[in-house]
Amino acid sequence: MESLLDAGSIPAASIAIFLRSMKNFIKTSTFFILILVLSPLLTALSVGIRTSDHEGFTRIVFEADRSFTYAVQNRPGQMQVRLSSRADFREPTLAVQNSPLLERVTHEFQGNESVFTVFFKGDAAVKKSFVLEKPFRVVFDLEKSEKPASPPQSTPESSEKKPDTPQENQPAPAKPKPIETICIDPGHGGEDLGAIGKSKLQEKNVTLQISQKLKKLIESRTGLRVIMTRDKDSEVSLNTRASIANNQLAQMFISIHANSSFRKSAYGSETYFVSLQATDQESLELAQKENQNMEDPGETIKNDELKMILWNMAQTEYIRESSKLAEYIQNELNELLDTRDRGVKQAPFRVLMRTAMPAILIETAFISNASEEKKLKNEEFLDKIAFAIYNGISKFIYYYNNILK
Amino acid sequence: MTKKSRTILLISVAVFFVIVLLAVLLFRKKPVSFEPELLNKAGVSGATLTEFIKVKLFYFSETSIYLQPVYREIEVPEIREELYKKFIALLLAGDSGHITPVPDGVQLRSIHYLVKKEMLVLDFNDLLSSAFPGGTTAELEFIYFMVDNLCYNFKEIKKIKFLIGGNESKTLAGHIDLEKPFFPNFDWLKSE
Repeated sequence: MESLLDAGSIPAASIAIFLRSMKNFIKTSTFFILILVLSPLLTALSVGIRTSDHEGFTRIVFEADRSFTYAVQNRPGQMQVRLSSRADFREPTLAVQNSPLLERVTHEFQGNESVFTVFFKGDAAVKKSFVLEKPFRVVFDLEKSEKPASPPQSTPESSEKKPDTPQENQPAPAKPKPIETICIDPGHGGEDLGAIGKSKLQEKNVTLQISQKLKKLIESRTGLRVIMTRDKDSEVSLNTRASIANNQLAQMFISIHANSSFRKSAYGSETYFVSLQATDQESLELAQKENQNMEDPGETIKNDELKMILWNMAQTEYIRESSKLAEYIQNELNELLDTRDRGVKQAPFRVLMRTAMPAILIETAFISNASEEKKLKNEEFLDKIAFAIYNGISKFIYYYNNILK
Repeated sequence: MTKKSRTILLISVAVFFVIVLLAVLLFRKKPVSFEPELLNKAGVSGATLTEFIKVKLFYFSETSIYLQPVYREIEVPEIREELYKKFIALLLAGDSGHITPVPDGVQLRSIHYLVKKEMLVLDFNDLLSSAFPGGTTAELEFIYFMVDNLCYNFKEIKKIKFLIGGNESKTLAGHIDLEKPFFPNFDWLKSE
């Protein structure tokens, strides 16, 4: 042992070999580290496509070895699925044999993105879509296009207090056109007062005031069509609110609220978009059913519970746009209100889940905070809020319409 | 390159990867969990020997947006669900200087632990919705006050489902979907 520790016993040649080895070691390790770090980035996304025909609908599934972000554009006779990364998919055209609703799927690279275009037969259209995990799948169900099942509801009042059924929340078929209709949803109303401030200011009145101001701004400055889920002090169920927006083919859903907390010191504004828990047992069950369905094409999904799950997931397709819309609006609120930025957040809001369009919920200020309650009584402050939301909407419209080009 | 230097190189590479692996294992973020400590303290209740555990309760405060920890002791009953009940009773009782995000008068009606689903079902009286002050933040405060506290202290509980008056409720006060169970979100415990 002692002789080993004696530097004099190590020949100079061994030191040179050791130093050379260390040099090589550093080079090799750097190479391995680079490979380890970059390999997930360099590997193309492995994507498979499968289709199956069922009673009344045709299903197309994009399956990948890992999750990916995507955007969907619906056009008459086709649907474009744009993946944010390049897919390892060799065939430029995939012909679909003997399908009543599908013709072919094409694939092309656009920069670092992969674009799949699904061509429909006749008047087919995407009726619903959802995401499944383990493995990651994006599923689209196509049906023959029908004329709108129910006539548009002329006034919000006519749809008040309808029973909550999944049927009334049927997402409208996606329209690939620039934004023309916006749905504003003043939170609470009627017997549902919402949160109440220390000086008895009621949330339902604040939300209606801001909504009416916002409606005027949008209509006068853009000429876009604005519908309201309520335009007076009336109670409208959460499902009916989503239903109004879906049936009126709104392309944006803006729910306006005032916040409240058990912590009286809480203040500031925040904007939410919906969070869907993909790891939910329900989704896993859905995945299993989807798999079974693939194995046995004769079996159709008729389960009411499953239909309910799908309606609950109507927002899934629009999460990306909803997050963008929330971001634009929150930025404007921060700029104009000079209050605490509580940021863009996600939560499972019941009113947002069933909307088939970009949808967000704004908590303008805390009615439970004495200082902010005072502000919410001030017309000028409400004007500022409406103007900030209008600015955010305008920026989103510019972004959204550019995507469509 | 000589055979000797190649061997040294290979050994060096192997050693390097072992070090990297050890570093990853040592410095990776540990999942938040807490094992209630069985206290070395036993009392005699009637003729039976009783055990106590130390639990960590989290409450809100005006000075922080995160839940603040407080330690308490609970006598361990024979039935596990009774332990959850005691824990919830402690939560609802609150702590001086802290905020309990639960309306006054709210009480737990019943409790069920579904072993297969690893889910705890909590059934509160109607006051939970009728006396709820409203507001998205207040709803989230109540939900994660219950979910985070229970899931943090009892690792067998993975998710929590809320019932009000024995029935499923759509929301507490018009915002968050209450029909689905909630998984913990330990971001609320960031102050730890």
